[in-house]
Amino acid sequence: MTKLLRGQILFAFALTVLNTVYASQLLGMDRPFVNGEPGPSFLPFILCGFVYVVTFLIILKEFKAQQNIIAAAETSDNIPRIVILGPVIAVGLTALYILAFVYTGYMTATAGYTFLIAIYFNFERNGKCGASALSSAIIVLFITVAGWLFFVKLFGLYLPLWEF
Amino acid sequence: MIGQVADGFLALANPGTFLHLVGGFLLGLAFGAIPGLTATLAIALLLPFTFGMEVKDALVMVASIYMAGIYAGSITGITLNIPGAPSGAITTLDGHALMKAGKGTQALGLSAFSSSIGGLIGVVVLIALAQPISALALLFQTPDKFSLVLLAVVTVTIVASGSLLKAMLAMAIGLMISTVGIDPMVPVGRFDFGSYHLIEGINLLPAVIGLFATCELIAQASMPTKVGKPESVAKILRPKRRDFLPDWTLIREVGFFTYIKSAIIGVLIGMLPGGGASMASFIAYAEAKRSSRHPEKFGKGSYEGLAASESANNGMCGGAIIPLLTMGIPGDAVTAIIFGVLLIHGLVPGPALLGENFAIIAPMFAALFVAAIFVFLSVIAFGPIYLRLSQINRGLLYAFIGIISMVGVYASSFSFFQMWMALAIGVLAFLLRIFSYPVVPALMGVILGPYLEEFLRRSLIVSEGDPTIFLRSPGSASLLLLTLGFIWLLRIRPALRSKGQNASN
Repeated sequence: MTKLLRGQILFAFALTVLNTVYASQLLGMDRPFVNGEPGPSFLPFILCGFVYVVTFLIILKEFKAQQNIIAAAETSDNIPRIVILGPVIAVGLTALYILAFVYTGYMTATAGYTFLIAIYFNFERNGKCGASALSSAIIVLFITVAGWLFFVKLFGLYLPLWEF
Repeated sequence: MIGQVADGFLALANPGTFLHLVGGFLLGLAFGAIPGLTATLAIALLLPFTFGMEVKDALVMVASIYMAGIYAGSITGITLNIPGAPSGAITTLDGHALMKAGKGTQALGLSAFSSSIGGLIGVVVLIALAQPISALALLFQTPDKFSLVLLAVVTVTIVASGSLLKAMLAMAIGLMISTVGIDPMVPVGRFDFGSYHLIEGINLLPAVIGLFATCELIAQASMPTKVGKPESVAKILRPKRRDFLPDWTLIREVGFFTYIKSAIIGVLIGMLPGGGASMASFIAYAEAKRSSRHPEKFGKGSYEGLAASESANNGMCGGAIIPLLTMGIPGDAVTAIIFGVLLIHGLVPGPALLGENFAIIAPMFAALFVAAIFVFLSVIAFGPIYLRLSQINRGLLYAFIGIISMVGVYASSFSFFQMWMALAIGVLAFLLRIFSYPVVPALMGVILGPYLEEFLRRSLIVSEGDPTIFLRSPGSASLLLLTLGFIWLLRIRPALRSKGQNASN
């Protein structure tokens, strides 16, 4: 069994688990036609059953599948294991950004996030720390100020700018 | 009436009114093109400012935002594979494939041309047939509306490329997301897991941002520059403005009937409450694929598919305004906000509106018409800028997308929780993409879910739980037959044909 095939089956299992978590909430709701009418649980009930059937068929199909032909994983000259490390960095930085946005406000959070995201992409492209940091610093200035002008000055939206 | 429409066009000659038209058009273009920002958000943000405007200027500005915003949703869909608005999602399938094949200028040119044609046809129908057509739409009963939404749901699922089972699962995930929060008919919270944040539900904006923008950021982070950068763009170093004029042979290859048919589908879908640009483009796309001589090209860079979806979603603009003005029923989120603009100025949308205030509304019709022409001119003026969107430094581009997406979610909801939702949906969408599950059916599930559920339950309440109500209503039965027809033509027949070919080989 190839890695991709194993992943497909595991992912389908994970979706089944999520469906079970979703279905667990149905237990606390009235049955669909308890008042003679299709209640709030009516469509979710159908959806849950449908998802169980479809995931089962997908898992069955994947088990029966022959060896899949997998394209060679993309590699980067500058970031090791980019296929795994890249998404982890992007998700981690975005999660940190939301946290920083809550506690420090738009300016600090945006400057930090923009710098780190830009330096990641720039370093991946050229492999040079100094040049990447310099161009990322310019990007920080541009995006942080442009975002502030756009949201706050042009459209008058409220953003928590400084929260110290 | 013709004289009043002509007066509407003359009103645009006033420099102040014309400035509102141009300003609104550029605003719509910017909001439509930037992922996560939509024409709906632009008009919603404009709402407080309309207090200080003359009613005709406000309506002119809103109309031009609407037309430009719906069109611009396809720009970043073509160039970056991130539709700026949900209406551009289907265009992305063929548009970005053409971009990667080095035909970005022609894809952008044809997209603008088709949007222009669709928009113009929509406005002509709006002006000429507003009252008779809206009377027909008024005949739609709840079971008919359910069957229409079901048609859209099924169509979206079967036109998705790859495994049908995976497309069905993706659609079901989208529908499940739409059920989170307060029930649309009974004041009961669902799937909130005891969290007061989840009771408010998952808004459309974080869902769209997550499925497209956040997912794209994560996906791009997993690709080295040599892969993530579209190779074709490097071949078009300095495109000239005339490169964006679609070739006459290309326009003829698509066929005028495709533009007209798709625009009319857009107008008709737009007229039905709950229709909207996304549904219009999906149904027109499916119909174009069904009737095409080259259905195998759809999803892989078909000009016909691109033209059909773009004609339909801009044709929808005129159609959606018909029930709003004549019956007081908004067809989608944008027309619901236009409803608010009219109310602010003391105009009540409904049967009496056009009879008593046609002179006030006429400049809005004229603005829609002129904005539709501007759509085509805009690609000649700004085309090179659109194309360079994919040549931008990736650090700048994805940092910008990350910020605008997250701050856009916050600014539209003032909720940190919705930011987390956008990230969570982005991670889910990335995993779906990795394991070859199509993301577009999930988005359509989120958008159409509330309508599907409401119309289904209302129909069953009326029939006291008897499901044959969907067969007894002629409109509903016709739509269900059409759904079966689509399933046969788009999935079963091609599968049987390929089986037959395999057997003969």
